[in-house]
Amino acid sequence: MCDHNKNIYLPYLATVEEVIDETPDVRTLRLVFQDEQVREGFNFRAGQFAEYSAFGAGESTFCIASSPTRKGYIECCFRAVGRVTESLRRLEVGDTMGVRGPYGNSFPIEQFFGKNLLFVTGGIALPPLRTLIWNCLDWRDKFGDITIVYGARTEADLVYKRELKEWEARSDVKLVKTVDPGGNGPEWDGKVGFVPTVLDELAPTAENTIALVCGPPIMIKFTLPVLEKLGFGDEEIYTTLENRMKCGLGKCGRCNVGNIYVCKDGPVFTAKQVKAMPLEY
Amino acid sequence: MQKQITEANFRLLLDSLLFKGQRVVGPRRSGGTVLYEPLASASDLVTDELPRRSVKEAFFPVCEDLLEYRKEGQQVALSDVTAERFPETVLIGVRPCDAAAVPVLDAVFSWDYKDQFFLERRARTTIIGLACTSSDDACFCSAVGLSPADPKGADLMLTPLVGGGFLVESQSEKGEAFLETWRDRFAEPDGTQTQALATPATQPFDLKRIKAWLDDHFEDAAWDSIATRCVGCGACAFVCPACHCFDIVDEGSEKGGKRRKFWDACGFWKFTHHASGHNPRDLQPKRYRNRIMHKFKYYDDKFGQTLCTGCGRCIRVCPVGIDIAGVLEEIQEKG
Repeated sequence: MCDHNKNIYLPYLATVEEVIDETPDVRTLRLVFQDEQVREGFNFRAGQFAEYSAFGAGESTFCIASSPTRKGYIECCFRAVGRVTESLRRLEVGDTMGVRGPYGNSFPIEQFFGKNLLFVTGGIALPPLRTLIWNCLDWRDKFGDITIVYGARTEADLVYKRELKEWEARSDVKLVKTVDPGGNGPEWDGKVGFVPTVLDELAPTAENTIALVCGPPIMIKFTLPVLEKLGFGDEEIYTTLENRMKCGLGKCGRCNVGNIYVCKDGPVFTAKQVKAMPLEY
Repeated sequence: MQKQITEANFRLLLDSLLFKGQRVVGPRRSGGTVLYEPLASASDLVTDELPRRSVKEAFFPVCEDLLEYRKEGQQVALSDVTAERFPETVLIGVRPCDAAAVPVLDAVFSWDYKDQFFLERRARTTIIGLACTSSDDACFCSAVGLSPADPKGADLMLTPLVGGGFLVESQSEKGEAFLETWRDRFAEPDGTQTQALATPATQPFDLKRIKAWLDDHFEDAAWDSIATRCVGCGACAFVCPACHCFDIVDEGSEKGGKRRKFWDACGFWKFTHHASGHNPRDLQPKRYRNRIMHKFKYYDDKFGQTLCTGCGRCIRVCPVGIDIAGVLEEIQEKG
């Protein structure tokens, strides 16, 4: 017998329903919980994360990359860089894996109702915001303008390429995609330049707007001053932190940034909260 | 309730417990060292030596199984642990610096999500503490608010009497129940003097003052000088009664095996290493800073307690001679 209330480390079993290669080394898995009660009862909010396991290799932490508005399945998206992620990458459709969660806090989406949303992200940091992007698009009438600035090193490194096309085609979303100089092929129809520079040129309004930023530390470092210049206040900018985790439950002791536990107090923080933290993320 | 027990009755009591099938864990010689391990007879119990590792492993073992998995085709079968994993246990001869850490650890294992691996063992264990009659120059329990006779964490407290035997004081309902169950072995105190207790040499730290400095000095040149010698071996965390960081690892093949929880240590480079290659605590001083911060600031911020009982084990085992009491003194002088 498996008792999830007694054993907080026990994962739910999930079947890999679909495998999507986003880039040569980034993969999306669509997962369906095997237990009907879990499938019906698994509720999460955009921004929450889970512990995903490949049995025999261990667990890895990723956000839940699909939207809570899409029922019946969840998705994760990861780059194969280590033992667990290489094992997860070997899973085929129909295979079984483990999922614990959902854990952590989430984007306070209710507070964003009626506002414009500006998503700024780079590389494999799109998945943590993609859950919120689809959540907002599925509740489209609750928000003002939706702008997405997304960059990657090269065209090949852009994830969710099919969805980028979908967003581009929609009249109610403005997608600005960019690649680093030298990362563009002959067919590239987006911008060329680093995300902070492109954002600076785009100069979106800060009025009644929430900025949602997720990316590599270097991108965040140069993006925050641009947002400040555009007039965004520290409490109008949200990000999610990605410290290494094991338990996800506030016990194992490694994800802390000062006395903040990313797994419990985060992973979603405002720029104001992040600025108050010691540099340990 | 206060009672007294003779040395002979104490040993008979232990043997009765063991005879009845009770699991009794206490300091016993294991190879060349003394460790908290199940006793086979009363004569196994060592009362004059601080065990090499702390008593935390009675509740939080070095490694333990969280689940077993077995792959059958594309399906995976999981088997959970069962209650037999957590036998009723009497922990005996527990030093005050060890017993005091157990209620401190209750905080982290029971807040929000309940870690039943720790809590089930906790609920099924009676802790019989033993006051300390000898200390060495690494001991500093009295500097962090405890003492060689502190009953914190103990259900029953034994204090050695002059000429043998113990004064016994119950500290909880579990302790009362134990005294009641075995009342024939105990007598009323007859006024026999207790042995002189240990006298650790250190002065009490001003933990508030230390914390106040830590609150404002995440960045400080002192960290480099304090931790420059640290080789990141993690020994301090493993012997510590209060360090509780862990890792979760699968052992076995893709076909079948176990998922296990292992002790880990914030002194290790890989502890915080991100998949991207970035490491927020990339240098040893940053990791040592986390150790001190966690013990004397973060745990206090979160749970209102200090994550150190002054057992001195980290000082005794450090291969490069880092003395945490000295570090605290240094910080106190700055504060």
